[in-house]
Amino acid sequence: MTPVLDIRDLGIAFGGLKAVDQVSFQAQRHRITTVIGPNGAGKSTLFNLISGALRPHRGQVMIDGVDMTGAAPERTKAAGLSRSFQITSLFPDLTVAENLRLAAQVLEPAGRAFLPIRRSQRAMAKTDQMLERFQLVHKRDELAGNLSHGDQRRLEIAVCLASEPKILLLDEPTQGMSHGDTADTAKLVRSLTQDVTVLLIEHDIGLVMSLSDHVVVMHQGRKLAEGAPDIVRADPAVQAAYFGHH
Amino acid sequence: MHDRLTQSMRASHLLALLFVLASLGLAAIGAVTGDTFYLRLGTEALIFAGLALSVDLLLGYSGALSLGQALYFGIGAYVSALTLMKVPSFWLAMAAAFAASLLAAIIGGLIANRVRGVYFALITFGLAQVFAKVVYNTRELGASDGMIGIPVIEIGFGPFSVSAGSPVGFFLVVLSIIMGLYALTAYLLDTPFGRVLTALKANEKRVPFLGYSVWRARMAAYVLAGLIAGLSGALYPMLRGFVSPELMFFATSGNAVISVILGGVGTLIGAIYGSVLLVILKSIIGSWTEHHLIVIGALFMVCVMFLPKGLIGFVRPRIEALLMRRPQAGPALAEPARLTPAALKSGSAS
Amino acid sequence: MTAIDYLQFVLAPQVVNGLALGVAVVLVALGLTIIFGMLDVINMSHGEFYAIGAYAALALAAAGVGFWFLLVLVPVLMIPLGMAAERLLIRPVFGSKDRHVTTLLVTFGLGLIVEDVLKIIFGANTQRPPTPIPGASEMFGIILPNYRLFLILVGAAIVLGVAYVVYRTRLGAMVRAAAFDRNMAASLGVPVSLVYAGTFAFGVGLAGLAGVLLAPIYSVFPTMGRDFILLAFTVVIVGGMGSIWGAVVAGLLLTQVQALASLVISPVWTDPIVFGTMVAFLVFRPQGLFGRLGHA
Repeated sequence: MTPVLDIRDLGIAFGGLKAVDQVSFQAQRHRITTVIGPNGAGKSTLFNLISGALRPHRGQVMIDGVDMTGAAPERTKAAGLSRSFQITSLFPDLTVAENLRLAAQVLEPAGRAFLPIRRSQRAMAKTDQMLERFQLVHKRDELAGNLSHGDQRRLEIAVCLASEPKILLLDEPTQGMSHGDTADTAKLVRSLTQDVTVLLIEHDIGLVMSLSDHVVVMHQGRKLAEGAPDIVRADPAVQAAYFGHH
Repeated sequence: MHDRLTQSMRASHLLALLFVLASLGLAAIGAVTGDTFYLRLGTEALIFAGLALSVDLLLGYSGALSLGQALYFGIGAYVSALTLMKVPSFWLAMAAAFAASLLAAIIGGLIANRVRGVYFALITFGLAQVFAKVVYNTRELGASDGMIGIPVIEIGFGPFSVSAGSPVGFFLVVLSIIMGLYALTAYLLDTPFGRVLTALKANEKRVPFLGYSVWRARMAAYVLAGLIAGLSGALYPMLRGFVSPELMFFATSGNAVISVILGGVGTLIGAIYGSVLLVILKSIIGSWTEHHLIVIGALFMVCVMFLPKGLIGFVRPRIEALLMRRPQAGPALAEPARLTPAALKSGSAS
Repeated sequence: MTAIDYLQFVLAPQVVNGLALGVAVVLVALGLTIIFGMLDVINMSHGEFYAIGAYAALALAAAGVGFWFLLVLVPVLMIPLGMAAERLLIRPVFGSKDRHVTTLLVTFGLGLIVEDVLKIIFGANTQRPPTPIPGASEMFGIILPNYRLFLILVGAAIVLGVAYVVYRTRLGAMVRAAAFDRNMAASLGVPVSLVYAGTFAFGVGLAGLAGVLLAPIYSVFPTMGRDFILLAFTVVIVGGMGSIWGAVVAGLLLTQVQALASLVISPVWTDPIVFGTMVAFLVFRPQGLFGRLGHA
């Protein structure tokens, strides 16, 4: 079976700095692959390259066997890839429900684009489903900008999921969350793998170890190691670079 | 629960209905008293309301400030005038203005949508300025004098016909066209397509990651706005019998922006109320002093600084609250049935 | 007419007049570009501040103040006006989400009001102050009005002075720091809000100074700012918003293009050419010649 996401020799440089350099790995279907690494290792840049926010200088991004290298975000989205942002990026002036429906709208056939919104029944149903799944039902008519940080982070994931993607890129979903919220989110992310393949950036090492099926370690733009969580943890190079001596 | 955007649009529709009723009432009074002046003034206000509507579509929904929307208004007016002087047909003039402003807005959109924010404002301003100056210098288009002597036409609707020279008749024609444009815009904004436009204003950076092309959405909004401005402009020579390059100047674009700010950005109906308010202000203040700009400028600044949603933004939430409290008492223009989540689910299952 | 005659009596005076206009435009554009570069504000009322400067000069001259003293007095009087405008109008909306558009709209409204106020106080008629330096000089066989020569020299001195203050003094460094990163500057002890108000007032003062200098050439009327500001905006865009040298180069280049175009093609086509240049720059090089597009 072809891997759902296949990254081959990906690279980009800003000025002389190789932010991402010769990175290759694969994400297997319905698994959680986590990218870890110290700040500045190039994790978010990697996400930008995969999702089309940046165009790589070299290498390839294959989504479900199709070459999507350098495709615009709306095209990688159409190919089944959905991403969240490290710094929450919602539509703050729109309601929670509207945020979700905007994302779910892509499920509708193109012909519905010019029919009244209430005819987009699949998107509406999806919205309700997401509200329930993410426990946001009682907040549906609040403006996304007025939600608490934790709710915003959850909505961010829900928005990504509302379009029924094949691959979900989550950039530090637990960033700034309380301990309890982090645990809930971990459970949530685990439950997502029924439907999607998850590629995660995460800093909480405990979480990474318990949650991931596969770990990719980045350091100074390069891939340092990859493998099952416990194997990666035991790797001396990883020990030195990452788990090091803080 | 009902969708919030649909809800506020319904409040706008109620205000639109009020507007139409008030206009019909005034038209009736005008007809009875045999007035010409006020009906003509009202017609002109409505025509410029169409221009303001197009500015609000851009500013209030896709979040782009156009300082040169008069360009398309002027193109509509000139093309309509040129057509009418050859063939005095209302529908042909409207069709020609439609085609010309469509073409112009596509070209203009390709240029203006390369930049955003304040650069977009300046480029639309520059485009209009270039074009206005070219028209100003083109003898075939009457240069600085514009073109006069556009014939008074008969507007045929099947078996009926209305003369553009009839103050009441033409007022009603313009009222229905402008409100038709309003209804069309409001309808489009309440579709999935329209919701992508509102997303542009809310957070443009996120839009491509939801799977929508920002460029296409911006182009669509721009072209639609250009068409609305062009069709409104096409009515102008029918009313006044002339066109002049002033129609494309910054003052015209600026007035449309003022109307939108006074009426309420992002409310659609606010643009129409704002235009009428501007005309009323100008004629009331103008009747005792020629210095109406001070009052309009001050009101404008107060709105920008303290009432960012303008007059309608101030009124509308109250109406929304009213509509929420009595959900069945929706305005005639609103949708037939309210869908509950349960209904939705069963609907999607079937 | 021989080629030499054409050069001497047609082309050269046109070039020098274009240069005088260029200096004039640069003076107006300078304030505009500083306000944009430092505060990120498109000051739509800049043309009206220019008009205020011209009217103030007119009124004070009528009261017996000499031209040389006006060159100092008017800009100084404009400073509190600029400070007040920044405090009362710009600052309250400075934190709004769409700051660019909001400040643009507020200053647009201010412009409308000022224009009408000027009309009320001074009337709608065009007035023309006497030329402070009458006469003409002959240089290389070309006859040039003295005041235009004076304007070119003074303009150059002002531009150099402003550039010196912005780029070479501690004050300028503080202003640039505040423009670059407001919070960082504040933490370094820069009185950011005073710097913002001061910068706006400085730009306004420059507009006023331009008003004093240009009144004897271009006359004084309430909408004088409106016509001139379009050219100044073009200069700021072509030069690169926020760039002082950009404004200078673009101002001089564009006015030469204008001067030569009016000679070679026709005066009526200079406006479309100039605005067309502006549009072309916005499309193909929105950062302008020396631009700093996207700077914070």
